[in-house]
Amino acid sequence: MADIKTLEHSTLKVPYELLNKQFRGSQKVIDREASKLNTTAGELEKKFQDPRLTVRDVTSALSTMVDNLSMLKRKAEESIQEELGASRVIKRRLEHLQERDTPGIKDLTPPTWWQKNRLDRMLVEYFLRAGYYSSALKLAKHSNIEDLTNIDLFMTSKEIEDALAKSDTKPCLSWCVDNRSKLRKMKSTLEFNVRKQEFVELIREDKRLDAIRHARKYFSTAEQTQVLEVQKLMGMLAFSSDNPENPYNDLLDKNNWQKLVLQFRQENFKLHQLNSTSVFTATLQAGLSALKTLHCYKDDANLRHPDCPVCSTHLNELAQPLPFAHCTNSKLVCSITGTALNEHNPPMMLPNGRIYGLKASAFSMAAVNDGRVVCPRTREIYHVDNLEKVFVM
Amino acid sequence: MDACLAVDKELEKLFEKYASANERGQQTLDEFVHSLKSFISELLERPPDELVSEGARIAIAAFIERARTVTNSVSTFHKDLHGSVSKLGKTIDRNFTSDFSAIITEGAFDGESRQRLLNEVICEHFLRQGLLDIAESLNVDANLGLSQERKEPFLELHRILEALRQHNLEPALEWAEINRDELNKRNSPLEFKLHRLRFIELIKYGSIKQREVLQYARKLAPFADMHMKDMQLLMGSLLYLNEGIANSTYSFLFEDSSWAEICDIFTRDACGLLGLSVESPLSVGINAGCKALPPLLSIRQVMQSRQVAGVWSSKEELPVEIDLGQDYRFHSIFACPILRQQSTEQNPPMRLTCGHVISKDALHKLVVGSSNRFKCPYCPVEMTTGETKQIYF
Repeated sequence: MADIKTLEHSTLKVPYELLNKQFRGSQKVIDREASKLNTTAGELEKKFQDPRLTVRDVTSALSTMVDNLSMLKRKAEESIQEELGASRVIKRRLEHLQERDTPGIKDLTPPTWWQKNRLDRMLVEYFLRAGYYSSALKLAKHSNIEDLTNIDLFMTSKEIEDALAKSDTKPCLSWCVDNRSKLRKMKSTLEFNVRKQEFVELIREDKRLDAIRHARKYFSTAEQTQVLEVQKLMGMLAFSSDNPENPYNDLLDKNNWQKLVLQFRQENFKLHQLNSTSVFTATLQAGLSALKTLHCYKDDANLRHPDCPVCSTHLNELAQPLPFAHCTNSKLVCSITGTALNEHNPPMMLPNGRIYGLKASAFSMAAVNDGRVVCPRTREIYHVDNLEKVFVM
Repeated sequence: MDACLAVDKELEKLFEKYASANERGQQTLDEFVHSLKSFISELLERPPDELVSEGARIAIAAFIERARTVTNSVSTFHKDLHGSVSKLGKTIDRNFTSDFSAIITEGAFDGESRQRLLNEVICEHFLRQGLLDIAESLNVDANLGLSQERKEPFLELHRILEALRQHNLEPALEWAEINRDELNKRNSPLEFKLHRLRFIELIKYGSIKQREVLQYARKLAPFADMHMKDMQLLMGSLLYLNEGIANSTYSFLFEDSSWAEICDIFTRDACGLLGLSVESPLSVGINAGCKALPPLLSIRQVMQSRQVAGVWSSKEELPVEIDLGQDYRFHSIFACPILRQQSTEQNPPMRLTCGHVISKDALHKLVVGSSNRFKCPYCPVEMTTGETKQIYF
């Protein structure tokens, strides 16, 4: 249950942000229709000043008013339906989260299918963040979790990213316009940087007059902090762009487009209240840390455990910089059976100091082997009577 | 589930609000449009060129006034929903954790080579499930360039397992024969169990296949010394071959659980032989993380509120002990009950003559003077340091 609280914020918050956006959009649509009616009403009122006002004049104006009102009625209905649609996405996800628990039983580990589903959801998000769109789509489709992941959000951003990568700024700029108020609140520099890049491209193509026009249009309103940058840009006008000694080569670097792609991606996350790190990464780090023991990093390969994730080659390396698990209480497992050593399976010591659980097959086989026990680690043979009890507090 | 319930409550309220806002808006508009229309049709009965009478002027002015009020109220109905919408957002924020950056080890998974490691782990996770197209898609998206050789073990594993799930024993038997020596070293019952299932499939046909059944029984003979009891059971079932085993005391042989068992045995043995873990390391790591994140985040909050956040900056160990449960214990960890420290090579666990275990350092602290004698801290037994014994879990 606590895991839902900690891990699922973006599952609900992203569709909420979309609902909120839809709400603001709807309000604009409704207000626009209302103002149309207002205009019609105003015009009719103006006609009132004419003492020779005929019935024909009035009826046509009133009919327009009826049209306006019907339009408003339709738009209001549609808007609300769309908002309800956006809310239903939240509802659907909420229902899925609630499927984690069997009613009446608290704090149980979630069912296996649910855990698998959760991992797939995390992976989809991780892929989308990394820009692995086709893998994300395939996985979401395979696991039937399209409506539980924020695929749509990322797919729109993919279109914008692809366009940017092809030096096409239009989709990105129209996105900036759509989200202007929020971007301003975030003090985003994305739009400025895109305009900057457009300027650089004009210089590259040697369209210097266009570049100046572009600069006048977009840079005259630049913020105080951006003035220096603008001045630097304007300096480009003095240099020929094919001059290898051009001091502005860093600005002319084609890689700057890639930087714009990354900046856009980051701002899009922030806009939708997504963390800068994926839930997947955070969870994996926490999990590896909680599993990480000193044994996982011993040179002696026998201390490694084939089923321990931190002992597996790749994860072992990835977990290197992470903190170790904290351990003040003994946690003992039988190295033969992998089961817990406790009152049901008490630890027993062979004369060579090796400890195994009483239930280990080496001990239960003793009966058929004339009481002989072979230590699996040292291959030494002992008699079962030489086993001694061990008490671990 | 409280977090989900809180959001669900707000969401349900929102649905209601939307429904009533929509209904009120539509109704207000309908009523007004209706009366406006009937007024227009009254007007239309008059000759179009007639001047508008004073009474009609007053009525029209009233209609204009009402039209404005009505549109305003439709807009206000929608605007008033904002409170409920934003309350939903706040409820999500209040009940779910949005920020876990504080517990992330910065840069642990960053950089091209580490990213690659992580992506390979994910890729293997899919290969293991037999999701070839997703694995391949990631291979391309993340530019991994995994060779066929790397994929092959996973693919083979999956192929055989899939066949077993379809009750097809052939590929598994083939594999078991090829790896017979290795399997025998592990005392694996796999090959016998496979033949046993094949035998059971044969006896399902009843007496028509009697000849084949008897012939196949010889294949079981080489396993006699290890599985005598099982073998006798199988042969015993032949008594009922004519009447139908399904109705006899041997009907348990046909239970589906044998198939689930064989899948488990095969997975364990094959993974062991291939040096793979039984479960996907990624799943285990993530599921552990889902358990570990909530307590880590709450301790983090406590530490921040008490301004001792710096304690964590050492990053060597997690600040709290996290009990992931028995399924996640792969290594024996002995923590000295006296010093509350994990044992190390320099400070190994020692068994006292009474069977109690403490660490070597703790033991030396108990010795008074140069006598070498000390008393067990848990019971009245006295001994010398020479009588204690280092143990290995």
